[in-house]
Amino acid sequence: MTAKPCSHEEAVTAAARSGDWSPELKAHRDGCLTCAELTLVVAALAADAEELVAIHAPLPDPAPIWLRAQLASRERDYRRATSAIVWVQRAAVAVTLAVGLAFVPGLWNLVKGAFTSLDLSSPVADLPRAAGSPLLVIVVSMLVLGGLALWELTAAQEN
Amino acid sequence: MIPMALTLPRTLTTDLAGRAVTMDEAAFRHLYDRTARPLRAYLMRSCGDLALADDLLQEAYLRMLRSGFEGEDDDHRKNYLYRIATNLLRDHFRRKRPESDEVPERDESPGHDEAVHLRSDVGGAMAELAPRDRQMLWLAYVEGASHQEIAKALGLRSASIRSMLFRARQRLAKQLQARGLRPELEVS
Ligand SMILES: [Zn+2]
Repeated sequence: MTAKPCSHEEAVTAAARSGDWSPELKAHRDGCLTCAELTLVVAALAADAEELVAIHAPLPDPAPIWLRAQLASRERDYRRATSAIVWVQRAAVAVTLAVGLAFVPGLWNLVKGAFTSLDLSSPVADLPRAAGSPLLVIVVSMLVLGGLALWELTAAQEN
Repeated sequence: MIPMALTLPRTLTTDLAGRAVTMDEAAFRHLYDRTARPLRAYLMRSCGDLALADDLLQEAYLRMLRSGFEGEDDDHRKNYLYRIATNLLRDHFRRKRPESDEVPERDESPGHDEAVHLRSDVGGAMAELAPRDRQMLWLAYVEGASHQEIAKALGLRSASIRSMLFRARQRLAKQLQARGLRPELEVS
């Protein structure tokens, strides 16, 4: 005899879980292989669950779980709070790169001019005129600050 | 002999439902106290290893907290927790059998049989089933999950749960009968 799905399964499951059998359902179950198997399975699993729930092994302490969740939440808050700063840093790096690239040819000429006019044989070397160029000062400052922003950015991401 | 028609462990409580929406530590502990043992029982019976079950249990609660899931009530939180736990189990079984996307036919990890509490015949019978069958049967008949909830937890189509559950039940009944437990037992 093969078991086939039965329309009483839901009612039998509920009765097997609660132990509340109506005489009709009980009679059906006793004559239906599917429902008899279902009753066996439900009751067996209930017994197994009861045994497993009652095992003496202590549960893991919930305190570290809570603590880890709090730490993760603080880290998330921190990331959210610092994300604006990170964007400013990224923008600074991008502007620096753009400015740097735009002025590369001019800058190169300035640096070259500065070095060619530098007289190393003189006991007191005069500062080349190009060194005083506001453009050179601005570009070099931006490159230094941009480098710092990049360094800060990568350090923050590593952390 | 199996004590028939037992009252199932009740993991659902209604007293959390009336609490504040945001879960504070006290609410978390309350939820943990109510659900951790039944959830560990589910994990243990599914993975067959107490230490692993404890690891997965902690990870499940941690993920729930980290997700910021508040849930409408305790029932909702419990369902969410079981879904996370089921995903963790699936990840565990997939890691063990990376060559297959399918859930393995049965768990044969070293120490499986020692770790699973085979004190009961039911434990032995369940150990013979595929992990997915074990999870499905447990969710349906211990936790009283609906077909839709089972489908959601296991990542399956809701429409196929009925027949899958039927076949899993037949396999378990066969294993139980092989251990001398018969459906003809007087049950009430
Ligand atoms: Zn029937």
